[in-house]
Amino acid sequence: MAQQTTSVDHDAETDDEFRARIRRWFAENAPGRRPRDPNERKAWVRAFHASMYDARMTGPSWPVEYGGMGLSFARQVIYQEEAARARVPSPLGTGLGIVAPTIIKYGTPEQRERWLGPMLRQDLIWCQGYSEPGAGSDLPALRTTARREGDMYIVNGQKVWTTHGSDADVFFTLVRTGTQESRQKGITYLIIDADSPGITVRPLRDITGAAHFAEVFFDDVEVPVDNRIGEENEGWPLVRTSLGHERAAGAMNQATNYRRILDELIDLVRERGLGSDLIIRDRIADFEIRVRLMKYNASRVINDIIVRGEPGAASSVSRLFITMFEQELHEFAVEMLGADGIVTRGSDLAVQKGRWLMGFIATRASTIGAGTSEIQRNTIAEQVLGLPRDPAMPAR
Amino acid sequence: MITGWSEEHDQLREVVRRFLLEKSNPERVRELADGGAAGDPAVWRQMAEQLGLQGLAVPEQYGGTGMGPVELGVVMEELGRALYVGPYFSTVALAAQALTACADTTAQAAFLPRIADGSLTATVAVSDTDLGFDTTDVATTAERGGGAEWTVSGTKRYVVDGGTAGLILVAARIGDEVGLFAVDADQSGVRATPVETLDITRAVASVEFTDAAATRIDTGDADAIARAGDLATAAFAAEQIGGASAALDMTVEYAKIRVQFERPIGSFQAIKHRCADLLVQIESGRSAAFYAAALLADGDPEGAIATSAAAAWCATAYAKSSRENVQFHGGIGYTWECDAHLYLRRATVSTIVLGAPTAHRVRIADLMEV
Ligand SMILES: Cc1cc2nc3c(=O)[nH]c(=O)nc-3n(C[C@H](O)[C@H](O)[C@H](O)COP(=O)(O)OP(=O)(O)OC[C@H]3O[C@@H](n4cnc5c(N)ncnc54)[C@H](O)[C@@H]3O)c2cc1C
Repeated sequence: MAQQTTSVDHDAETDDEFRARIRRWFAENAPGRRPRDPNERKAWVRAFHASMYDARMTGPSWPVEYGGMGLSFARQVIYQEEAARARVPSPLGTGLGIVAPTIIKYGTPEQRERWLGPMLRQDLIWCQGYSEPGAGSDLPALRTTARREGDMYIVNGQKVWTTHGSDADVFFTLVRTGTQESRQKGITYLIIDADSPGITVRPLRDITGAAHFAEVFFDDVEVPVDNRIGEENEGWPLVRTSLGHERAAGAMNQATNYRRILDELIDLVRERGLGSDLIIRDRIADFEIRVRLMKYNASRVINDIIVRGEPGAASSVSRLFITMFEQELHEFAVEMLGADGIVTRGSDLAVQKGRWLMGFIATRASTIGAGTSEIQRNTIAEQVLGLPRDPAMPAR
Repeated sequence: MITGWSEEHDQLREVVRRFLLEKSNPERVRELADGGAAGDPAVWRQMAEQLGLQGLAVPEQYGGTGMGPVELGVVMEELGRALYVGPYFSTVALAAQALTACADTTAQAAFLPRIADGSLTATVAVSDTDLGFDTTDVATTAERGGGAEWTVSGTKRYVVDGGTAGLILVAARIGDEVGLFAVDADQSGVRATPVETLDITRAVASVEFTDAAATRIDTGDADAIARAGDLATAAFAAEQIGGASAALDMTVEYAKIRVQFERPIGSFQAIKHRCADLLVQIESGRSAAFYAAALLADGDPEGAIATSAAAAWCATAYAKSSRENVQFHGGIGYTWECDAHLYLRRATVSTIVLGAPTAHRVRIADLMEV
C-alpha cells in the first residue's frame, strides 16, 4: 500500500504537540484494568477499540477515508510509542495488517465501505483461514474448493490452525477455483462470514494445553460472489499484500517489551544469587547485547523509512532475529531455574506463576506460525541476497 | 533522539568505496601484505589530501573536518570491506581519537594537525601484553628527568603498526597511577620488532622502550583512557562489520555461479540458510556499530555498554562470516589464490584486538551489575 502522508487535521501540529495530544487522549480515556474473565476481557478490548475508532484515534497507518488516522510514518512511530505506554490492548483476531491492505488495494468501493470501518472498530473479528492440513508452507497445494453457481460460490474443505477461529465473525480465506493441479494459478481470495450455514468450527487444543486456534470445516457453504476480492483464480498475488511499514513501526514495541522481560530475568538471577556464575553472566550479557540490538535494528529501520522511504536490509532480518532471541531467552530461563523451572503454572511451587515455562512453550510457535524460520531464510536468501531460486518453490 | 545514517553519510560511504575500489583491490592488498603491511604512502597522501580522511575525527581548529565517531564508522566499514592495508586504524581510530578524548590542548596542537594532513602516523599502546586498553595490564614505567621531561621504559608486546608509526602514545605507570605519554618513535630508546600474526594485512610489532624520551599527556579526568578505548572499539566494530559483509558478498557471488548437481550451489538450502543467518548477524552488527558510535558521539552514558555490545557481536559475526566464506568456496576456498583466506586472517586476529568477545561480555555483565 502506498504510504499515506496526508495528515489532514494534524498538519498544523508539531510532532511534540501531536505526541502530547495522543498521550492526553489515552490518559483521559485509559482502557482501565484488564478483566480476568476471558469473555469480559474480549468485551473490554472491543469496547476500547470502538471508542478509539469513534474518536478517530486508531488505525494510525490506515487512510482517513476508511476511518484511520492516515499518519505519516514518523507520526505512526510516535503513536505506537504512546499506545505502548498506555498499554492499549491489541485488537482481537488476526491479520488485520494483512487483510485490510488487501481490501484497500484490491477491493471494490462497496467492499471497502462494508468491511474496513467495522474491522477497525472491532465490530467484526477477522481470522485468517489460509492453512490446511496438507498446505502449510506449501500454501499453493490447498484443496478447499469453491464452485461457482450463479451469484454464489459453494465452498467445501477444511482449514486448520486458525488462530482465534472460535471468535471469528469473518474469515479471509484462500480457496481453489481452478483444477487441483493449477497450484497458485487457480486460487481465489474469498471473505466468508463465520455464521454462514455449513461451517463447523472445532477448537483445537494446542501445545500449551489451551485452545488458541481451531479447525474450520466448510460443507457446501454458500458465499456470495460479491465476497471475492480481486478476480477469480487470481488470488495468489494478494497473499503478500500487507501494510507497508506497519510492522516496522511496531517492532520498537517488541524491543521495549523484551527489555522489560530481560530486566525481570536479571532480577531473578540476582535474587537467586546466580550472578557470580561466570557462565550465567556470559549468557545474560549475550541476551543484553541482543535486546539492545533489537532496539537498534528497529530504530535503524524507522530511520531508513524516514530518510530513504524504504525499510532496508535490517527490516528483513529483524523477525528471525527476534524469534531466535525469544526462544533462547526462555530456554535459558527454564534451564537456569532448574527443578523450579519445570513446574507448570497451576502449582504452588511455580516460580512467578510458571511464566518462564509458559514462555518457553509459547515461543515454540514463533518459528512456525506466520511462515516458518526455514521459509523466512529462503526468502531472505532469495530476495535480499539474490541467491538462485529453489526450483521446487513457487514464485510469490 | 539518535536517528541513523543520513544522505550525507551515504555520500561519504560512496566516495570512500569508489576510492578503495581503485586503490585497495585484492591484487594491491596482496602486494602490500607481501611488503610487510606498512601501506602505500602515495595512497595515504591521497586519502589525506583529496578526501581528508585522516582529519575526519579531528576538530576543525586542528586542521580536521570536525566530524565524529559516526562518520569515522562509515569510513572504517569501507576500509574493512576492502581489507585496506595501511596505518589508518592506528593513526586515526586509535591515536587521533585518544588525543581528542584527552584534555591536553598542547599535545593536540602538536600532533593533530600533522595527523590530519597525513604527515604523521601514530598508534596507541596501553596494555603491555595485549592489544587493548586495559590499564591494569601496565608494568611499563615512566620516570621524570633524564635529559627529557619524562622517560618511559618497558615493553608493549603487541602494538598495531608499532614498527612504522611516527608517534606512539604509551600508557606507563608512575607509582600507582597510569599516565599516557607521547613518545617519538624515531629515537634510539625505541626498538620495534615485527610480530608475525595470522593477519598478513595488518602490521603488529613488539615495541621495547628503554629510557625513551616522552612527554606526558594531560588526560584530564580519570576516564579519558577508557573513553579513548571505547571510541577506538566502536570504530573497530565498524571495520569488522565491513569485512563480515564483504565476506558474505563473496560467498553469495560464488554461490550464484558455482554449479554442482546441475544447479547453482546457492539454490541449495544448506547454503541459503546459513547465508541468511549470516545476514541476520551482520545487519544487526551494523546497527550495533552505528549505535555505539552515535551514543559515544553524544556522550551518552549508554555508550560504554553499546560499545562492548558492538565489539562482541561484530567480532563474532566477522569470524563466522569469514569461516563460512572459506567453507562455501570448497577446495578453491582453501587455496592461497582465493581471497577468502585474507578475510579469515583479518577476522581471526580482529577477534582479539581491543578485547575478545568474552571479555566484552564480562564487561557488559559488570556494567549491568548482574
Ligand atoms: C500458533 C500458530 C498459529 C497459527 N495461526 C494461523 C492462522 O491464524 N491462520 C492460518 O492460516 N494459519 C495459521 N497457522 C499455520 C501456520 O501458518 C503454518 O503452521 C505454517 O505456515 C507452517 O506450515 P505447516 O504447519 O504445514 O508446516 P510444514 O509446511 O509441513 O513444515 C514442516 C517443517 O518443514 C519445513 N519446511 C517446509 N517446507 C520447506 C521448504 N521449502 N524448505 C525448508 N523447510 C521446509 C518447515 O520449516 C517445518 O520445519 C498457525 C500456526 C501456529 C503454530
